[in-house]
Amino acid sequence: MKTLLPACVVVTMAVAGQALAAGQQDFKPPTGPTPRLQSGKVDFSGVWQKAYVPDMTKDGKDQKGTAVLPFTPWGEAEWKKYDAAEGDYTGACLPFGMTRSVNTPEPMQIMQSDKYFTFLFEQNSWFHVVPIDGRPHGQGIPTWFGDSVGHWEGDTLVIDTINFNGRTRLDTIGHPHSEQLHLVQRFTRPDLGHITYAVTVEDPKTFTRTWTNTRTFTLRPDWEMMEYSCEENNKSLWEGRIKAPKPPKP
Amino acid sequence: MKTKVFAVLAGLAVAMAQPASAHHSFAAEFDANKPVTLQGTVTKLEWQNPHIWVYLDVKDDRGNAQPWQCEGGPPNTLTRNGWSINSLKVGEQVTIDGVLAKDGSKTCNARLVKLPDGRSVFAGSSGGDAPPKKQ
Repeated sequence: MKTLLPACVVVTMAVAGQALAAGQQDFKPPTGPTPRLQSGKVDFSGVWQKAYVPDMTKDGKDQKGTAVLPFTPWGEAEWKKYDAAEGDYTGACLPFGMTRSVNTPEPMQIMQSDKYFTFLFEQNSWFHVVPIDGRPHGQGIPTWFGDSVGHWEGDTLVIDTINFNGRTRLDTIGHPHSEQLHLVQRFTRPDLGHITYAVTVEDPKTFTRTWTNTRTFTLRPDWEMMEYSCEENNKSLWEGRIKAPKPPKP
Repeated sequence: MKTKVFAVLAGLAVAMAQPASAHHSFAAEFDANKPVTLQGTVTKLEWQNPHIWVYLDVKDDRGNAQPWQCEGGPPNTLTRNGWSINSLKVGEQVTIDGVLAKDGSKTCNARLVKLPDGRSVFAGSSGGDAPPKKQ
């Protein structure tokens, strides 16, 4: 679909984005040095405010996208034929997958020890546990969030994720990936109040080269995580306005 | 359609002043090219995930009440911004600016819910991913 929206809607969203940005700028996170675990490793624990990134090709407050994605012919075809109206897995409350979970506007809590780094996503109350003790990737069946392991490069924690089931999309607008997706997420904490985040997408079936988004997360000590049951009142699915995707062919 | 529906040309700006929900693709359910303004009486408010829903009776050209339903933002985000289920009462008159569902039902995505005194409640919707989908 190559629909262009009426100018008033586009202007509205631009104004709204500025209003949102202004609202977020009002909050000042606490200041201080980079916190560390007793072991000396950087501690990323906290409740974090993230930018909403429905389209990873776009820039925004606290978000730098990749404007033109280097699609392979297969990736280009997947992108062009995608229509969420024909099946929206997130509308059906199926797992968002790693990139799309980080892309949500809902906050994310990180809990960490020397052995594990844990994503606690408020979106649909999902979690994802990452061993960071040097073990190799597991050999399990492919999953929605993939298999993640982490290692340290100085004060940067590098989380490497493979073994995706290929049933998710990279972002809300629907940029595709395949089961060959390989994500590298790099976390640094330059001070108490911020995380600098970069996610690099590698997928030789979908893209001819790697590409990256970089973001800043803001510490929100004034927020507590809240329950989010996607299924609780998912009227849009129940009443047929959103369609569940067809299951993959065996 | 004989319900009291008006085209909206502008005035949606305030509505998006909060983070949008990422629960589902906006384009899967709603048509951004079909803006709507509804004036009616609140009959019910559902304050549940993944979205709040406002139910209202809207009078058609013959004065008959027609039931409409409009999706709002996620309750967690709205709660963090100071709203609650008590922010809108059954029986209150509201004007909702939004866009229509694609399926032709009396369903909208609410971008702005205004009270008669000019105040607005529940700013925020799932429309944040609605900009042009594919160039």
